[in-house]
Amino acid sequence: MTFAHLEARADEIIGLYEYPRAAMLPLMWLVQADQGWISPEAEGWVAARLGVAISRVREVLSFYGMFRGEPMGRRELKVCTSLSCRLRGSEALLETIEDSLGIKPGETTPNGSVTLTKVECLCACEMSPMVQLDERFIGPVTADDTGTVAAITQDARSEPDSPAASPEPAPFIDSSGPVLSTRFGDPEGVWFDGYTAQGGYEAARKVLTSLKPEEVIEQVIAANLRGLGGAGFPAGRKWSFVPKNTEKPVYLVVNADEGEPGTSKDRHVMERDPHALLEGMLIAAFAIGAHKAYIYIRGEYFRPAQRLQRAIDEAYAQGWLGADVAGTGFALDVVVHRGAGAYICGEETALLSSLEGGKGQPKLKPPFPAISGLFGCPTIVNNVETIACVPFILRHGPERFAAIGTEKQGGTRLFCLSGHVERPGVFEEPVGVTLRELIEERGGGVRGGKRLKGVIPGGISARILTAEEIDIAMDFDSVGAAGSMAGSAGVIVMDEDTCMVSTLDSAAHFYADESCGQCSPCREGTGWIHRIVKRIGAGNGKLSDLDDLLTISHDMEGRTICVFSEAAAWPVQSYIAKFRGEFEDFIRSGRSLPSASAREVAHA
Amino acid sequence: MPELSIDGRKVNVPEGTTVIEAAEQLGIFVPRYCYHPGLSTAGNCRMCMVDVENSPKPQIACNLPATEGMVVETESEQARKDRAAVLEFLLANHPLDCPVCDQAGECDLQNYYMSFGLYDPRFGEQKVKKQKAIEVGPHVMLDQERCILCSRCVRFTDEITKTGEFGIFNRGDRAEVGLYPGETLDNPYSANVVDLCPVGALTERSFRFKARVWYLSSTESVCGGCSRGCNTELHHVSNRPHLNDGERLLRVKPRHNPDVNQWWMCDEGRYGHDWIDVDRLGEVRRRTDEASRRQVESTWEAALDGVGTALSAGGARVGVIASAELTNEDLFCLREVLGAHLGARIALPPAPAGGTSDDFLIRPDKTPNRKGATLLGIPDAATPSAEALVDAAIAGELDVLWVFGHDLVELVGAEKTRAAAVGECLLVYSGTNDHATVSLAHWVLPSAAAVEQDGTFVNCDGRVQRVGRALAPYGDSRENRRFLLEIAARTGTPAREDWNGPAGVFATMAEAVGSFAGMSYESIGDQGAHSAPSEALAEAEQS
Repeated sequence: MTFAHLEARADEIIGLYEYPRAAMLPLMWLVQADQGWISPEAEGWVAARLGVAISRVREVLSFYGMFRGEPMGRRELKVCTSLSCRLRGSEALLETIEDSLGIKPGETTPNGSVTLTKVECLCACEMSPMVQLDERFIGPVTADDTGTVAAITQDARSEPDSPAASPEPAPFIDSSGPVLSTRFGDPEGVWFDGYTAQGGYEAARKVLTSLKPEEVIEQVIAANLRGLGGAGFPAGRKWSFVPKNTEKPVYLVVNADEGEPGTSKDRHVMERDPHALLEGMLIAAFAIGAHKAYIYIRGEYFRPAQRLQRAIDEAYAQGWLGADVAGTGFALDVVVHRGAGAYICGEETALLSSLEGGKGQPKLKPPFPAISGLFGCPTIVNNVETIACVPFILRHGPERFAAIGTEKQGGTRLFCLSGHVERPGVFEEPVGVTLRELIEERGGGVRGGKRLKGVIPGGISARILTAEEIDIAMDFDSVGAAGSMAGSAGVIVMDEDTCMVSTLDSAAHFYADESCGQCSPCREGTGWIHRIVKRIGAGNGKLSDLDDLLTISHDMEGRTICVFSEAAAWPVQSYIAKFRGEFEDFIRSGRSLPSASAREVAHA
Repeated sequence: MPELSIDGRKVNVPEGTTVIEAAEQLGIFVPRYCYHPGLSTAGNCRMCMVDVENSPKPQIACNLPATEGMVVETESEQARKDRAAVLEFLLANHPLDCPVCDQAGECDLQNYYMSFGLYDPRFGEQKVKKQKAIEVGPHVMLDQERCILCSRCVRFTDEITKTGEFGIFNRGDRAEVGLYPGETLDNPYSANVVDLCPVGALTERSFRFKARVWYLSSTESVCGGCSRGCNTELHHVSNRPHLNDGERLLRVKPRHNPDVNQWWMCDEGRYGHDWIDVDRLGEVRRRTDEASRRQVESTWEAALDGVGTALSAGGARVGVIASAELTNEDLFCLREVLGAHLGARIALPPAPAGGTSDDFLIRPDKTPNRKGATLLGIPDAATPSAEALVDAAIAGELDVLWVFGHDLVELVGAEKTRAAAVGECLLVYSGTNDHATVSLAHWVLPSAAAVEQDGTFVNCDGRVQRVGRALAPYGDSRENRRFLLEIAARTGTPAREDWNGPAGVFATMAEAVGSFAGMSYESIGDQGAHSAPSEALAEAEQS
């Protein structure tokens, strides 16, 4: 294998970064795209190009789910089996695809055409159950939709460049606004001309020509903009933590590593309104004094990354990025950096570790990123959706944004409704919308007229709420007060037939798979929990397992570098606390008895 | 200087001190796996969690800066629970193969379980399977199942040797420590990862299945492998000869000394001790037949009488080839007894060229005490070279040539060595190990090795450090100092009685030699003390 033809591109890539090592993931992507996998020779080439030990390259290769350490099929068909897809039949779909292709997950067809892979959430839950063929999302598709299944398997067996037989997804994506979704109507996206025709970049021009950074921060604070990645920290206050007059460069990093199961929001901003994100980044970078920004986008998001890059190229061409933005003298460069399949990289310090070319392992705090983040420099990490709200605030004033929301949280959110609702989709709503309104009015209620059993309000990490607990506003504080969290606004709805043991198995598998493995309680606890839940699911549970699960999850909580272990613990605790009877009945009978009526029959 | 309280006791610490360090100042030990003062902070094991007032979560003491008024509890109910919980996680997938693990007895999983765990184990699932008994390098064996992924070894090869061999691959509970396939852990400091490993994941191949550690005795000493003088602990057995094929020294561990070697030592020094029990000289020998130069076993009395008589003969011309392997105390006695009184000319062959070295610990001079010899004025400016002394012996200009340690064949070649041995000059050899010169000597006086006696070395930076006596002198060998004093008695040399002990010689040396002025054997302690720069040293450094 030779790499001579990649050298020039490698030089360009390395040139984008302050330190060569940060080019680790992009160089590995480069090799994999060229050769189909990352061979030992390729690892050696990457190590030599970056000046690192080859063991560092192997660490990265083995950490990220999307890097291939061995040759695979010419195409890869990924079937999502995370909770939202599972609730709508992904297990049956996977079996059908297995039968059709004649291979199991992890295997490649004998002719080398396609590798079948079972994956965790691809954050396209509005189209669940869904699959990804190479770079393309396809869904929804269920096992009984024989036509689509046949089209998918036909596509999977065909050569990579063949025209697709399977249909382009057409999920419900709200475009009613008022803040984030107004330009979501065109699935092909709004580009520079369309964006500026609607007043795009006016807010940025105003900021760059007439405001001081601290005035921008004041407006964002006044708007009550909260961190919409899931933590809800006030965005303006976060910006204010960057030390003034620091001699180090300051970085803005946009977290586009959308990965929380049940979530689908940032992708639509990047695919359909990418300039809103770029304009927000210009304003944020000006406010914190950054002249270099990175967008860390999850590796599975091929099309969003391509569209973002197209928008960035447009912005450079139009003078809205570069050394002298719009003639104002302000400089900003933006680099899109692709992840490679690791949920933990959504945690902001893990994201920085990954961006620096390492495994995505969270960093110790203190120091916090605002003081010492990317490359040891002050860094602000904000979610895509958060940044995309910023142009609205600066254009229409913080009062208007604040007024849309609740007392302590301004604006709207992009809620993803998935699971057992009539109409899954992405809906922009004021943050004060109630969970009941979301499910019953936006989502059309529980599918098939069934009764609601439970709902996870903010991505799989959030504690489950029962049917009696849905009359709550969806802002961070209200959902927190109700004992759960608004998180990523991924609302997963479960009807009365949902088996909670199976649901917990989905969550437990996810966390065991995605734990970065750094802290002992999380590394060992997630695997331990998953093995117990799997054993219960196989009919070999003991009643004492439930208390063990509770104490193990409790022992993980609050004892690790990041909050992943909490996220892993809360589903365990809340499912068992709220559905203990069902868990006990499952253990006693060794089978799934999800509904009260089924359990009564079993007891009789 | 923030003042904080730990377990109800107040302590003032410099700004930037962590709680784990502050606790150490109070003598409070906070258990830890990943934390090591010589490495960057990883914070992954979570064993050092402490209870901090007004903090909703437990905090890891290794990354927690001490602040004014902070109130820390390391023994509260909560802190105990936190530690027990972490231990249970760490032991969940641990194979618990202590009966066949070399680490047993010095394992921090065992130790902490007894001190901080003592929970009823609940783990009943299938454990994660990983690889065992992987020879990762010439000195180190890896067991991935025993590993608790503290990353000390990874940080060592990243930050200290900068060789980057170790990595932690995969994620979640599939994470495993290892090397890139086909790579070898063969950097010059590789075995330090064994010392760093808090569990039985990295063990020494040379120590594998040799002995349970509770059979080992430990002596603080200094490595004699080069002029750095890394501080060591010698681990040895004397009453269980079956444990290590009769070799008494089982392993050497580096001992912390911030001014010399920090926590580390090189593999060359660590494993350069085979000679202590192999090919040793254990009996006095004398030449019985001039023609065949046959040697037979003799006695110390006969040898000392014989050599003493030769030295006392009126106008005896004496040459001594000394060695930089000798302690200061030996060299001082040699200088006083043979040099000052008997007028011996004392040569000290220079270090052979081409010794390996680096910019960390390894020095090119593979002798431990050249600087000490220099401070003692050995060789002085008027002393001929070793080769000149041999030439003088061949030419009949010497009556006695006394060689310490050196193999003359290496110094002057086989021909001259043979010529010196067949002439009129009495050839006396003292040393520890057998080589070509030994069989040519008229008298062979077996010397105790440095680890078989007390004394001091001066390292390359002028630091005076004590060598600890770990073992009894091999066979019938004796400390050089001891038989030099016997020679003194037989030659009418005014030696002092208290020179029999290292403290006594050192006291006299401190009076007589400016560089050691004001020091005592006691005051040197276990961390050594810096010698005063002397004129001789300054001159030696200029030349």
